[in-house]
Amino acid sequence: MKKPCNKYTSEDISRFVDNELPRDRYHTLKQHLHHCPDCSLLIEQYKSISAVFNDHADQQGLKIDAAKLKQKFNTAIQNSKKKSLENVFGFFGRNIYLKLASITAILMISLFMFQGDGDLFDPAGPSAIVKSVDTDFASVMIIETQKEKHTIIWFSET
Amino acid sequence: MIRLIKILLILAGIFCFFSQPALAKNRVLTDVKVIHASTGPNYVDPSLKEIISELKSVFKYTSYRLLKDQNLDQRFNQESRVNLPGKRVLVVMPSGMEGKRIRYQINIQKNNRSIFQTRVLLKNNSSITIGGPQFKNGVLLFNISGSVQ
Repeated sequence: MKKPCNKYTSEDISRFVDNELPRDRYHTLKQHLHHCPDCSLLIEQYKSISAVFNDHADQQGLKIDAAKLKQKFNTAIQNSKKKSLENVFGFFGRNIYLKLASITAILMISLFMFQGDGDLFDPAGPSAIVKSVDTDFASVMIIETQKEKHTIIWFSET
Repeated sequence: MIRLIKILLILAGIFCFFSQPALAKNRVLTDVKVIHASTGPNYVDPSLKEIISELKSVFKYTSYRLLKDQNLDQRFNQESRVNLPGKRVLVVMPSGMEGKRIRYQINIQKNNRSIFQTRVLLKNNSSITIGGPQFKNGVLLFNISGSVQ
């Protein structure tokens, strides 16, 4: 491909063909083309390359079946949805027994939480929490034993 | 996928079947033990073996005699009365649950007059001991245990 004159580079010429130059620079180059055969020739060459490329792209685009493309697109979306569901339900792969065992274990733990006496969550708590004491006597003691944390309320009638 | 949903529904049914009694617990078995503790000859009633080590770790008494053991089958907010020595009466009422604990209102009366009352949160299947009233050269201890059914 022939080199442009010293005033403009190949990139300038290419950008002129693609209408990417700033407006003032575009008009200056356009004026320049009237008296510069080298640049004019280069522009013609770029335009012809561009035309060939566009024709080829159009031909390839026409070959694409829009209906088929749409169908492929929908299939791809459905597959991605299935995969996301498999990620949720298929944590243990395809082993149904492992899934059942996991669900049963979760249910058993839930039942234990419902039916347990709370020792699981409060193993070190006192046997009784005293919320209030009301008595006429002056001396009341609340004691918690060291070993079993048994709660004792002691009041003296004297 | 449909098979998995069916299995989940069956398991949910099993869960509901087994969890229903747990959710519907509304009966409380309350046991009141009346103990006479004194500094007399060494003696421990065999039925006190579960709590005696705890009592001995706190009190200086050498004799622990069981005077009365009364089982009460109660519903929530149902008052029960237990006659105590020395014209005293123990009024005990489970009034509900707070988490995993039974909320009890306990009242000790003497000559129809309240001399002591308390509200406690008793751990299920556990007990509390209330003591202090003088009786026959010793004191009375009331061990109250509760269990939701």
